[in-house]
Amino acid sequence: MTCDAFKDEKTVGKHTYYRDMRRSLDTSKFNKTLAKNGDSLNQPVALLMDLFEIRGGQLDVIEEEQEFSLMEHSGAQRVSVETNESLRFEACDSPSPAVTEDSPDDVFSDTENESDVIRNKLQEKVSEMENFAGHLEEIFLTVEENFGRREQHLEQHYNDVLQTLSQRCDDRAAALQEEKKSKLEALYKQLLDCGRALDASKELIESAQEVHRCHDNRLFLKMVMPMIKRIEDVAKDDMDLTLSTTLEFQTPRCDLSDVKTMMDSISVVPAPSAPVINPQAPNSASQTSLRVCWSLFSDDTVEYYELFYRPVLEDCPPADCPTPPVNKVKVKETHCTVSQLLPNAQYELWVTATNITGISPASEKALYMTVPCPPVLDQRGYMSCTDAALIRWESGNTNPVDSYTVEIQELTSDGTQSDFKESVVAVPSCQCLMQLQPGQSYVVSVRAVNIGGPSEKSEGLQVSTTGTYFSLLEESSHQCLCFSEDMFTISYGYEDPPISAMAFDDSGFTRCVAVLGDLLSVRGRHYWEVQVEDDTEYRVGVAYEDTDRNSYLGANNTSWCMRHILTPTRHKFEFLHNGWSPDLRITVNPVQIGVLLDYDRGTLSFYNVDLKQHLHTFHCDFRSFVHPCFGLDNPGELSVHNAIQMPTFT
Amino acid sequence: MKEVSSNKCAGGFQKVFEHESSELKCKMKFAVFLPPKAETEKCPVLYWLSGLTCTEQNFITKAGSQLAAAEHGLIVVAPDTSPRGCNIEGEDENWDFGTGAGFYVDATEEPWKNNYRMYSYITDELPKLINGNFPTDPERMSVSGHSMGGHGALICALKNPGKYKSVSAFAPICNPVQCPWGQKAFTGYLGSDRSSWEAYDATTLAASYSGPRLDVLIDQGKDDQFLSASQLLPDNLIAVCSEKKIPVVFRLQPGYDHSYFFIYSFINDHIKHHAKFLNA
Repeated sequence: MTCDAFKDEKTVGKHTYYRDMRRSLDTSKFNKTLAKNGDSLNQPVALLMDLFEIRGGQLDVIEEEQEFSLMEHSGAQRVSVETNESLRFEACDSPSPAVTEDSPDDVFSDTENESDVIRNKLQEKVSEMENFAGHLEEIFLTVEENFGRREQHLEQHYNDVLQTLSQRCDDRAAALQEEKKSKLEALYKQLLDCGRALDASKELIESAQEVHRCHDNRLFLKMVMPMIKRIEDVAKDDMDLTLSTTLEFQTPRCDLSDVKTMMDSISVVPAPSAPVINPQAPNSASQTSLRVCWSLFSDDTVEYYELFYRPVLEDCPPADCPTPPVNKVKVKETHCTVSQLLPNAQYELWVTATNITGISPASEKALYMTVPCPPVLDQRGYMSCTDAALIRWESGNTNPVDSYTVEIQELTSDGTQSDFKESVVAVPSCQCLMQLQPGQSYVVSVRAVNIGGPSEKSEGLQVSTTGTYFSLLEESSHQCLCFSEDMFTISYGYEDPPISAMAFDDSGFTRCVAVLGDLLSVRGRHYWEVQVEDDTEYRVGVAYEDTDRNSYLGANNTSWCMRHILTPTRHKFEFLHNGWSPDLRITVNPVQIGVLLDYDRGTLSFYNVDLKQHLHTFHCDFRSFVHPCFGLDNPGELSVHNAIQMPTFT
Repeated sequence: MKEVSSNKCAGGFQKVFEHESSELKCKMKFAVFLPPKAETEKCPVLYWLSGLTCTEQNFITKAGSQLAAAEHGLIVVAPDTSPRGCNIEGEDENWDFGTGAGFYVDATEEPWKNNYRMYSYITDELPKLINGNFPTDPERMSVSGHSMGGHGALICALKNPGKYKSVSAFAPICNPVQCPWGQKAFTGYLGSDRSSWEAYDATTLAASYSGPRLDVLIDQGKDDQFLSASQLLPDNLIAVCSEKKIPVVFRLQPGYDHSYFFIYSFINDHIKHHAKFLNA
């Protein structure tokens, strides 16, 4: 037998056929036994398995085929697992070297080459066989396993059948009993009736005899006619002498079709049992996708799985609202990544396994959740000072999320992000106050978190702890105030405000043309500057959050301010609180005013920044945090500068 | 120079010294407060010029300046208000002229011109003496005063641009050429030529001041009888400073009079004001 046996056409055809068949099944079971064998050796082992599975255990067929194919490949791989003959093989005959009349050297080298080639082939074969031998034990086990499964399956199937038959038998017996009972009852009744009739007749006869025996002729005549009548009546009565019931029992038709079906299905590969779907693994979801895993805890054959999923609606849908459609994905593996989903949404998923026989029951339904969309940081409306920052953001999701995680990263002096990162987790609302180091720059970002995991990072916000930074609160402004584009300059114009600018809410100033800055909700010192023109009539200071919006800054006890009034002859200054001001003259009109708020000392100081001149200090004893406040008493403009390092003259 | 008294005060020492003055040609006393910091370091100096009828004692016993001076590490020097014991005729006749009323000028008229040289004493002799005998930083000095002393502080600062780091005053006589006090004193010390008076008038000096920027703090009691008697005339000074852009913060304190109770109430603010410049 030459090595060319492998190239025999028939063999090749068969080889291809079985290889294809193998591929069409779930290959996972086969891989461990097959992978280690060289491809050329797959046939016998593979055939054993293949045929077993494909043909559903019709062993006779297998044997035939086996022998057939073995005959095809005999000589090279005789598979006889129980003998030592398995490793015996006949080497391919080497074609005799053509001995020519050439120089002896050529002959030698040619021969050498030939023998080398053959030797190599032999080596290959040896190693392949060794491989194969090494896997026989696994093959043993697999065969045992398969046998065990099938035996168990068989037992169970037959048990089911027997049980069904037994049940039928019991049912039939009970029915038969019932029938017997009713027949006997009927007959008994009939018997009683007959008895009664007999007794009545007997009585009648006795009465007649008595009449007959009566010696009194007159009495006799009187009684005889009714008696005769009675006897006649009785005689007229037909006796019903038929049986009320049949003696035979019914034999109803027995429907054993289901038992037949069960018998038929014994030889069939069972449909798989329900798979078990895993709960959502942490960090396996993204904003629009979910990675779902499941497993099959029985050794059923599965051709493919089908994963079903649909979104879970927030509230119970009303009767007229259609339930969302179910999507379906067909996969061969025990995992699947479902995409094109909505973010921050809950999905219901279940999976079925299908094989040639049918579809398994559905697995339990699992609830998975996609990760939320990242939040959106308010790039303007945050507050920071030398040792803290209060940042705010929008959720970025229409539905609620569980919490937020804030990430803070230091920015080194050359503008790169350092490795040091701090996280604040479980933030319940859309704002966070965090401690920072003075004189540093940071990049802050936020993630929204739900049970599916954290969202992507939001766009970063750069925060610097050089000085105090706050924004102006547009909603607190008087309707006559206009804001510059950078929102740090306010102006009070000569024109009437447009109707559309009129806000009908309570949060803005109604008389004093003023605006509040963001609440300075961190203790310590805060400094900011206000820039005005020489003739700007302004009010600049601080106010409590609840300061009366219908009142003027400084006119009540909830606000303090420096006020500049321009008279025809001179500049007048007031430092107002509760409507009262000390009497002060200032000879140089400040155009850059520094405001220093010291919560710890309870002071509010004003400076002429250009001259580094201290103007006045309020001693306040603040009961709560305050807002910076800015007002214009007459048309003019005022700019706010903040995030300034505390100057030395303060 | 000899020490007349020494009392521990506010962690430092309030001392009084006496020396023979070359400008005034008599024995003069002056008070010096040494803060705790002076034991180990050189300190800046604040000169306090008292008002009419005062000696070196009034300020150190009534003004309550020592605690703030100790806190900010300032040496405070409080000289007398005029030469003493010169036996000049008429020197004790008036409380607002002569003894206790030197007006911080260098007199040019007889019989005053020999002794009554308070301007030179304050701006020249005394600083040299102080710097030579105490742990001072000669580059850092400021001046303050009350009433006549306020006038003195203002003119010293205005006439010596850059010499004083800061200046402040309590109820100063701002425009002496326009008020009875000033007119009386200047007539006596400087003669009847009003042009010579202007060299010692803060309002006039401010109008022509050119030099490093000053930062002036002035406190004035609203119920000060001398204010209403038009002796002090702060509005004139303010008007000129407004025009000449000399930074002044002038505070009119309601209910306060001309006394040391008024000084006591606001001396901390003034010391803090000076400390800002002296300790910078």
